[in-house]
Amino acid sequence: MPLLRRVGQYLLVLWAAVTLNFALPYLAPGDPVQYLYGGEEGNLAPEHVAQLRQDYGLDRSVLEQYVSFWGGLLHGDLGTSVAHNRPVSDVLVDKLPWTLALVGTAMVLAAVLGTLLGTWAAWRRGSRRETATVTGVLAVDSMPGFWVGMILIAVFSVQLGWFPSYGAAPIEASGWSWFTAVAVRMVLPVLTLVIASIGGFFLLARASTVSVLDEPFIRLARAKGLSERSVALGHALRNALLPVFTSLTLTAGTLLSGAVVVESVFAYPGLGKLTYDAVTTRDYPLLQGAFLLATIGIVAANLLADLAYPILDPRVRRERVTHHRKEVSA
Amino acid sequence: MSALLASALLVTACGSGDNASDSALEGPATASSLTIAVDKDSGPLNLFAGQTDQLTELVYDKLLAPSPYVDDPKPWLATSVTQVSASTWEVALRDGVTWHDGAPFTADDVVFSFHYMHQAPTGRFTHHVNDTPSISTVETTAAGGVRFTCDYACPELGPVTLADLPIVPKHVWSTVDPAKAKEHAALPIGTGPYQLVDYSPTSGYRFTANANYFAGKPTVDELVMPVIADPSATFTALRSGQIDATTRALTPELTDEFRRSSQVGVVKTSPLRYPELKLNFLEAPFSEAKFRTALNKAVDRDQLLEVVGLGQGRPATQGYVHPDAPYANPTESPYDVAGANTILDELGYVDDDGDGFRENAAGEKLTYRIHANGGLAPDVRAAQLLTEDFRKVGLDVSVVAVDTGSLSDIAAKKTYDMYVTTNSPHAVADPTQFIMSHRSGNLWKAPSVPYPEYDALYEKWRKTETNEARLAVLDEIQTLFNQQPTVLGLYYPDEYFGVRADSFAGWVETPGYGVVHKWSFLPREVSESAGAIAPVR
Repeated sequence: MPLLRRVGQYLLVLWAAVTLNFALPYLAPGDPVQYLYGGEEGNLAPEHVAQLRQDYGLDRSVLEQYVSFWGGLLHGDLGTSVAHNRPVSDVLVDKLPWTLALVGTAMVLAAVLGTLLGTWAAWRRGSRRETATVTGVLAVDSMPGFWVGMILIAVFSVQLGWFPSYGAAPIEASGWSWFTAVAVRMVLPVLTLVIASIGGFFLLARASTVSVLDEPFIRLARAKGLSERSVALGHALRNALLPVFTSLTLTAGTLLSGAVVVESVFAYPGLGKLTYDAVTTRDYPLLQGAFLLATIGIVAANLLADLAYPILDPRVRRERVTHHRKEVSA
Repeated sequence: MSALLASALLVTACGSGDNASDSALEGPATASSLTIAVDKDSGPLNLFAGQTDQLTELVYDKLLAPSPYVDDPKPWLATSVTQVSASTWEVALRDGVTWHDGAPFTADDVVFSFHYMHQAPTGRFTHHVNDTPSISTVETTAAGGVRFTCDYACPELGPVTLADLPIVPKHVWSTVDPAKAKEHAALPIGTGPYQLVDYSPTSGYRFTANANYFAGKPTVDELVMPVIADPSATFTALRSGQIDATTRALTPELTDEFRRSSQVGVVKTSPLRYPELKLNFLEAPFSEAKFRTALNKAVDRDQLLEVVGLGQGRPATQGYVHPDAPYANPTESPYDVAGANTILDELGYVDDDGDGFRENAAGEKLTYRIHANGGLAPDVRAAQLLTEDFRKVGLDVSVVAVDTGSLSDIAAKKTYDMYVTTNSPHAVADPTQFIMSHRSGNLWKAPSVPYPEYDALYEKWRKTETNEARLAVLDEIQTLFNQQPTVLGLYYPDEYFGVRADSFAGWVETPGYGVVHKWSFLPREVSESAGAIAPVR
């Protein structure tokens, strides 16, 4: 029952978020038809503009569009993108794998590297190497993503010629060479995202590990004669991971939002740039679909974190069981 | 092919200009493959949906070539185009042309194309068939040609309409409901020099040469066109040799850098578009012809060119129709602050309170706003200079920078005083569009403001029966418009394209299309015979 209640709560949140998502594009000024034909506006008589608005359902009231939007959602129909002349779901599905691959890979690498580095720094706290590492990570963390990307392009693409500076996959490649090309083109954008996001994981892991180093169970582990590595990884890190996990799940929630800056710098075909362009062109159906995807990602990540906590930390499990028993007896 | 490649190292003249490094490239005239970045995804080149002419015309051909932006379009899919009466044209077609799938091209395809464009949803080509001109019937003739009949005299149907509308295959599009034409996502089948063999929204386009092209085998076997929307990413890829060219013109700031490069050549072109200031002619005092005349005189276009265009181009003193358009009537509009002040004085706008700004009869200060796209630095820069110009004649004008969507919104709802934007070749170099722009509300359509001079000229224009007579009336309309413009040209820029000449040097400029278009990939003598190469200016 608690599980069902929790899922119900999240469904309520999802409904509110979807409704808000529907409303957001209408709060911004701008008309997609005028934008699309802006350069050719002299071509279109007002009656033709009216016809286009009718074609895209933009002539209906907001309420009618809202009802239609929910009707479409329940049938898996997100409408047709004004700018792409294709079903919104198709447009999103085209970009989704690239965003998942790019942001997912970068997120996992940043989390693993940041956590290991943070734990190492905590273990060496007070030393010169720790001070240098913290300073270095903070310096890297303060660099804007687009700037990091441009530096990487200037060095590794323009000067050294090691990696392409744009795109995700060359259209002319096929078979194994396609996979190789995709992997090579992903290196610089992933590296940029890792550099831009590693600082958060590092600082969190370091602070969290430092906070458990003086705990009795660490002293006990050492007293038992365990090696420093076992104590650090098996006891300190394991107990310090909870905040890192929280941060990771929250970051995972943004997985479906894309990484607009990096996608722009590297001309990478992801959801972030797609959403940005949809905002610019006032492509309402696409905006709503993109927002919906991002909302689902964040709600799902929070639900996952909520459900995973008791598994990761027995103390939370015990607290929830006790709380539930009190409610039942009351 | 390899022998041809090995032997083909020659000098190719490109575009126009006064700088030798801009006008001549040294490199091969043929290539096996070129990578050319396009600045936006145009989908699977569906003519009835959003598309880009330069890409579409790699695949499709038109009856006349190269476009309505040249003085005398030449027969292309047609062998002759004849005006047989004021409202009737007959076209003879080329034999032996085939579609990319091997089906023969026939007169039925031409008839079908025009009928289908009538039925398809509103789009890029709509006005060319149903308003200016208004084509009533299209039918095959006994001789295997096609006859066009219009609702009223259409002497421009040949040189404009037939030079602008691509012909589509009946056997493909007859299976697509015209109402759903925009949703058709199959790769296009055309008669053109290239076939689109791959398209991906994430990777771009791949074209292969049509070895059986009726006008001759294309000079480049394969065109790979990734979509790179970001200018910085585009020019970085060009600089590092990852791409050979791009559809995006260099920014003025980058031009000199690329000129100095030993690896990237620069081709100068004269684009048929320019930045402009739109006036809201629906609202007073912009609805007053004399007020607009005063504004026109107050703009220092030399300064705009120097500061915003970095001196690359010409000041826009010759009116709305681009001076390189064949039908242009360049009416000089010199910078004349004294003249502007005189007109404003005559209109009764004087500075009564001595604050340096004029007031109207009600004592209200003449305060206006210029909207500009905040994402486009040159537009904001131009707007700032314009405020200084207008302050010199006593108008209190300020700049409001907004995002693209907001600017589009205020433009559509006409809730602006003035705004800076950029027009298109179709708007300023297509003679029928100049008329259409008056009918659609772009240059004029103000039922509450009488404009008898234009109305009289429009009726005169409709009654003309020859292209020469029609262009003569168009000349009069331009003179009228340029005296009291609702759109002020700021400067006619030059455009520069960066290309890797060591990969390919066959680039030519076609009016309105820059350098990336099919005429760069056809044998030079073919492009010359089609009149597709821009004249040296």
